[in-house]
Amino acid sequence: MRHRNIIAALVLLALGVGYGIFTSQLPVRSLPDTPGPPFFPWINTIVILALSATLLIQGLMQGQADEPVPPPAAGRQRAIWALGVFVVYLAILPGFGFILATAPFFAALMVLFGEVRPLRVAAGAIIATGLLYLLFRHGFSVFLPTGLLKGIVP
Amino acid sequence: MSPDVLAGIAQASGFLVLLTTAVGVFIGLTVGMIPGMTISTGIIILLPVTFVLPADISIALLLGLYVGGMTGGSFSAVLLNIPGTPSASATALDGYPMSKRGEAGRALGIAITSSFIGGMVSFLCLLFIAPLLADVALSFRTEDMFALVFFGITIICSFAAQSLVKGLLSGAIGLAIVTVGLDPVMGSQRFTFGQVNLMGGIHFLTAMIGLFAIPQLVSNLADTTSARRIQTKLKSVLPRLADLRAIRMPVTIGSLIGAFLGILPGAGGPIAAFISYDYVRRLSKRGEDFGKGAIEGVAAPESANNAVTGGALIPMMTLGIPGDPVTAILIGALIIHGLAPGPLMFTERGDFAFGLIFSFFWANIFNFIIALTALRLLVKLLATPRALLMPTVAVLCVIGSFALRNNFFDVYMMLFFGLVGLAMRWLDMPVVPLLLALVLGVPLEENLRVALTSSQGDISIFFSSPISVAFLSLSALSIIWALRSARRRRKSAQSFTKENSS
Repeated sequence: MRHRNIIAALVLLALGVGYGIFTSQLPVRSLPDTPGPPFFPWINTIVILALSATLLIQGLMQGQADEPVPPPAAGRQRAIWALGVFVVYLAILPGFGFILATAPFFAALMVLFGEVRPLRVAAGAIIATGLLYLLFRHGFSVFLPTGLLKGIVP
Repeated sequence: MSPDVLAGIAQASGFLVLLTTAVGVFIGLTVGMIPGMTISTGIIILLPVTFVLPADISIALLLGLYVGGMTGGSFSAVLLNIPGTPSASATALDGYPMSKRGEAGRALGIAITSSFIGGMVSFLCLLFIAPLLADVALSFRTEDMFALVFFGITIICSFAAQSLVKGLLSGAIGLAIVTVGLDPVMGSQRFTFGQVNLMGGIHFLTAMIGLFAIPQLVSNLADTTSARRIQTKLKSVLPRLADLRAIRMPVTIGSLIGAFLGILPGAGGPIAAFISYDYVRRLSKRGEDFGKGAIEGVAAPESANNAVTGGALIPMMTLGIPGDPVTAILIGALIIHGLAPGPLMFTERGDFAFGLIFSFFWANIFNFIIALTALRLLVKLLATPRALLMPTVAVLCVIGSFALRNNFFDVYMMLFFGLVGLAMRWLDMPVVPLLLALVLGVPLEENLRVALTSSQGDISIFFSSPISVAFLSLSALSIIWALRSARRRRKSAQSFTKENSS
């Protein structure tokens, strides 16, 4: 926990400094004796910096406490894969459209969550994608992108 | 009876609203009992559905989910010894031993009945206390509102279970996030970096979906608890008369403790459940049976956690202050529908305010009926393959953030906040303070600056009103209390380590 506290403190100190720099660049539009747009961000900057410094001191003074048990390696690997799949999905979603992007994404997540039977994966992915598309596009009028299937699917 | 109350009853008792309340309860019972799904996540993924629905139907759906979720959490606690929601943790202590001796149906029947009574007690508190509190809050001036919202922000301290500093830092990050976009007083652009999409600010819903749902999905990948066998064959669920007599005292205590702690911002269901469990155990003549399958040990926490729901709605509706993460999300839902919770809600939209209260009443009625009659079906849903459920949740997160403004920018922001949520989890930083800051940040800044503008920068304005002084004192007490608790926790941890090493 000690190392994580120090890492958290350093990251947040950097964040506080960055936030402060951007705050200093905000336009000062204000009447005399009244707080302008940078007023609240300055308070935030001071609070973030002060608390991060406190966390850093706490982390440095802390003894070598027990580190939390990390998740099993297989679980961690699956989590990283899932995030990767998510990023790819969001990258192709606007171009490919909801149906063509979601079906393989859904299938990939099913596999990551332990379903290995190909027929079930394919059926689950296609049926779930179709149902979600119909429900939200036509039931709730959410303009889910049709992408490459424009003109083919309603 | 006032016209607003009558209009509220009529609003909540319309066919479509009743149907939606029942659907919400069913979804809530399902979401609540599935380990790895929380009520907050359930509400977040259901929110996009409500965008196209009228406000009364939307809020009835979400309230149904809130009430149902609290009861649903006890199902998996009793059957699997895995609480579906944190509020059901205390229920597992006696519910699971009952299930192991083949009395799962009896335990669930008691849990459902106790939840119903707890919910109805909190409905009465909501009905009678909320309008009175709203009347008082109407006299608040800007400086009082600032002090009140500041008090709401100090609730963050109570959510910082492990480290007060980390909890406060999480809240400060949330306050920094709400400064992105147009400044609420002068309309100047702040931290937009020329991005048109950032001018409207970061929508709290995209942040909520990312912060709550993505880390939960990822952590579910490493979880294998769903593989346990579930006892789906249940004997009679209806509680016997002798059982009802035995749970009178625990349910009364649990309901009162739950409703009271619900009103206090920050306390929440898990605390109410454990306090009432402990209190009833100490009062009981059969205290030694607790933990071995005592029905009182199921009744007390279950009545308490459902009583919390109505209690938590009181500060949310009258002051606009969320008592727990779920009410924070409900505030967001109301804002999306153009309704700002707070004292003005009872004067400007009294019909809607009472409609919400009576929807809560119906949610409790449906919760009791559906939980008892559809229990066997619901328990079968516990066996829903995670491989199908979790990808659906992931896609719903994407649809939810996209549907907000039909904009991919929000989807990318959702993923960004998902990564922030994962980083915070890894760094052991609580997410709830950030969520509360997202909801309370804008009114905090707005009231602070307007008050200071009216006093020409003189901060003594915050000490000129007794209401403001009272809330600032409460805030100071809240921080001192959190500091003392943190010190106590540190000391007990140190003594535990010493004992272990010796």
